[in-house]
Amino acid sequence: MRETYRTHSEEETVALGEKLAGCLAPGAVVLLIGTLGAGKTTIAKGIVKGLGAAAPDEVSSPTFTLIHEYGDPPAVYHVDLYRIDEPAQLDSLGLEELFDRRAVVLVEWGDRFPEFWPADRFEILLRRRDDTEREIEFRRSVPGGSP
Amino acid sequence: MRILGIETSCDETAAAVVEDGVRILSSVVASQLDTHGKYGGVVPELASREHLRAIVPVVREALQRAGSTYGDLAAVAATEGPGLVGSLLVGLTFAKGLCFARGLPLIAVNHLEGHIHAVMLEARQRGEEIRFPALALVVSGGHTHLYEIKEPGSYRLLGRTRDDAAGEAYDKVAKLLGFSYPGGPVIDQLARYGNPEAVRFTRARMKGNPLDFSFSGLKTAVLRWFEKRDMEAEVRARRELLRHNPRPSIEDWLAVTPRETLDLLASFQATVIDELLRRAAASAGQIGARSMIISGGVACNAGLREAARSAHLSVPVYFPTPGLSTDNAAMIAAAAFPKYRRGEFAGFDVKARANLALA
Repeated sequence: MRETYRTHSEEETVALGEKLAGCLAPGAVVLLIGTLGAGKTTIAKGIVKGLGAAAPDEVSSPTFTLIHEYGDPPAVYHVDLYRIDEPAQLDSLGLEELFDRRAVVLVEWGDRFPEFWPADRFEILLRRRDDTEREIEFRRSVPGGSP
Repeated sequence: MRILGIETSCDETAAAVVEDGVRILSSVVASQLDTHGKYGGVVPELASREHLRAIVPVVREALQRAGSTYGDLAAVAATEGPGLVGSLLVGLTFAKGLCFARGLPLIAVNHLEGHIHAVMLEARQRGEEIRFPALALVVSGGHTHLYEIKEPGSYRLLGRTRDDAAGEAYDKVAKLLGFSYPGGPVIDQLARYGNPEAVRFTRARMKGNPLDFSFSGLKTAVLRWFEKRDMEAEVRARRELLRHNPRPSIEDWLAVTPRETLDLLASFQATVIDELLRRAAASAGQIGARSMIISGGVACNAGLREAARSAHLSVPVYFPTPGLSTDNAAMIAAAAFPKYRRGEFAGFDVKARANLALA
């Protein structure tokens, strides 16, 4: 599965996230891939909203705290590995525990540790085309399937 | 009456003894900056491990310096959140154990309320009285929040960041440009050498609540500026400097930072300060504030302090001294006194809460 979208504002990116949330069942792991300022946290706002876990304004960058939870019990874990440099540090975060809970796990900067994630996962690639336009690719990688 | 405060929400292990809510008998802070500096940020597993190593000697030293024993204490206060759960647990569990063993009451304190109380404690020390309603801006690496304090202990959230915290924007810009962690102090010092009007950054315009903050657009604008220029050589020179000298002096930094980059830093800092103060002033007006409190790690920023002084705000602005701006335990003990008087004690089942809200 692979679909590509164009958005032209933050609002459209949030709306796309909301729509994509419909494809995500509890237990799904989603890597948000893109450079600084590509819109990773913005699309996370939409996904959190689409899953009914919190309003977009309540979703902020987890860079400092590493993991934000939304919903009670948490329906979404929003993880940010910007500050993590070594796989050894990653191992100690206890992320595997999150995979076993009935929640969607969103991960920013997770593509830097490709071997860490379940083979069956979603990836959202965000590319900045200009100040407001983003090309956003949504794909599912399934073990043994085409990449 | 003495309260022992314990703070371990992030990368500082801190303990303090405060008497009667006004006299700091001791305040010990063991920073993990050396451990985390090389990782460009706080690493949770390292943080918990370092807290575990430090908590016993730090508490012991706080008691010794205060000339106190466990028998002198009326209560033990610890931070319950927000913060890194693994870190919070070390301080909170230690406090529970101590209370259980000594039969002392346990007081759970919100870290953000602690930052506000740091300012209130110092005002009391000077014999000044902060007038209410007050507007509080708590601004650090993890927080950028505006609160109305109707009266001591009564908080209402007015605005907060929708993406990056102000201190986080400093850290990310510093990392991008090859400066050290944390980014605030080095950018603050270098900004003085640049022209704050050289780069015009667009101010964030918030749909919905106009008192919310956004620093993500500014961070992206710095990235665009960076990408349009060939800065690889100077970034490499700065990383090289850091490899040989983890604590460069301002002269060392100036030697590897061209004018244009100093102008960028000055413009970035001016924009952050303007965003913070503009919304703080607007909030203060909206609630009819009679004073303003600015606290948290970013309150150390000399540029912010100067701008607040020269902004001629209609209300007095209170900053904590630098030692009480960054994380410390005296503020946790100070925040515990009113709770002690109200009999607000925590059970031993109180949990560390990463996302604990103040209001």
